[in-house]
Amino acid sequence: MENRLREEAGKLLKEGKVDYIIGFGKGTVKFRTSPLITNKEEDLKDLVINPFITNNLSRYPVEIKGRVGIVVKGCDSRSLTSLVQDKKVNREDLVILGFPCDGVVDIKKVEVQIDEEIDRVTGIEREGENLTVQMDGSKKTMPFRDVIFDKCYGCEYPTPLEYDVLLGSEVPPSLEIEKSLKGIKELEEMDARERWGYWKEQFSKCIRCYGCKNVCPACFCERCFVDVNIPQWVSTYATWQDNLVFQLMRTLHVAGRCSDCGECERACPVGIPLRSLQRKMVDEVKDLFGHEVGIDKDAPPVFTHYEATDSEEFIK
Amino acid sequence: MEESNWEPKVVGFLCHWCSYAGADLSGSARLEYPHNIRIIRIPCSGRVDPLFILRALQNGVDGVLVSGCHPGDCHYQSGNFHARRKFAVIKRLLEYVGIEPERVQFSWVAASEGPKMAKVIGEFVEGVRRIGPNRLFKDDKKDGE
Repeated sequence: MENRLREEAGKLLKEGKVDYIIGFGKGTVKFRTSPLITNKEEDLKDLVINPFITNNLSRYPVEIKGRVGIVVKGCDSRSLTSLVQDKKVNREDLVILGFPCDGVVDIKKVEVQIDEEIDRVTGIEREGENLTVQMDGSKKTMPFRDVIFDKCYGCEYPTPLEYDVLLGSEVPPSLEIEKSLKGIKELEEMDARERWGYWKEQFSKCIRCYGCKNVCPACFCERCFVDVNIPQWVSTYATWQDNLVFQLMRTLHVAGRCSDCGECERACPVGIPLRSLQRKMVDEVKDLFGHEVGIDKDAPPVFTHYEATDSEEFIK
Repeated sequence: MEESNWEPKVVGFLCHWCSYAGADLSGSARLEYPHNIRIIRIPCSGRVDPLFILRALQNGVDGVLVSGCHPGDCHYQSGNFHARRKFAVIKRLLEYVGIEPERVQFSWVAASEGPKMAKVIGEFVEGVRRIGPNRLFKDDKKDGE
């Protein structure tokens, strides 16, 4: 797979079809990947495809001038299509190298399974439905599907919907929706006061690093409202009140654009379950307007558009 | 203020072309509506940024009323249609995080509907009164305070 990718990417650069290749490279932290953006053929040998390619690369074409070849998984492809809908990137400037993905490994879940820090692990191999973790002198095998991200359990579009080259064969959808909504169901069962208390506690941890907004492909405002100082909407000082207002606004701004890629939650250094907000809104937008993100690149973005028949039972 | 003397303080974002005039009309017609509302005139319900609502609640108002023109009556053709989609998700999100649904209300009131405006404000203020003061964004009291 990696060889095929390097070959295709090399061809694109050599033939001058793209100016840059955006793909997954080896990260500086063990097993993690980081974005690899290059215009040099010799760098392509560093491109990887492995069970850890969590990054959503679709935000980079927005910032890069020129044509790009980009590697995307199913969820990333929907973010990318959403950016095409918002006219942040031109489809003609993209050569999409789609990777059908049946789940990405959550390293935190692996750590729980082996009851060790990931630093102690010397190797992780995937063989079919199993993942074998090598440690000093011992090894442990676990089902691959036990250690993938929660979002992957409910992935209805694991194969990119929009691509020019497909690396591998199509993957059937994963329909363990209940399992992917972990956290949300519990919240829905609480009463309002408990829910507010829950979020208050969560956002007391926030240090306002803005990792969530920096990693999010749907957060593409050139100037974020948190940086506006006249008027200053949100204090730059991290109080839970301002943290919560910031995140609620972010949630509303990305509603209808969020493909539930889960990058916000993964990037959060203090472990706030941000996906419980974002995923909820994905479902609400689908319920209210029948809109699924990134399915049809010719459809208008959901909030620039309306139907005379939109529901208004909440309006008194 | 002592709890027993508490009066709700609510803010109303009313569209210049309809609801604001509706409130004006109810005044001219000498209809009474609770003075608990502080009205802010906006050019269109489409102008309402969810930040207005959240910041108002963060700053301690007990309720937020947003009112615009009936669908099809927008002075700018489609402002309220766009607003309606936005309001629908705001409503769902606020409920999900645990803000009482009574605290934030959306309405359509035309310029000719003076009595309706008075009724909407009256019912809204009563709803807010029932759920009590907005303590959502207050810090927990520490021992000894």
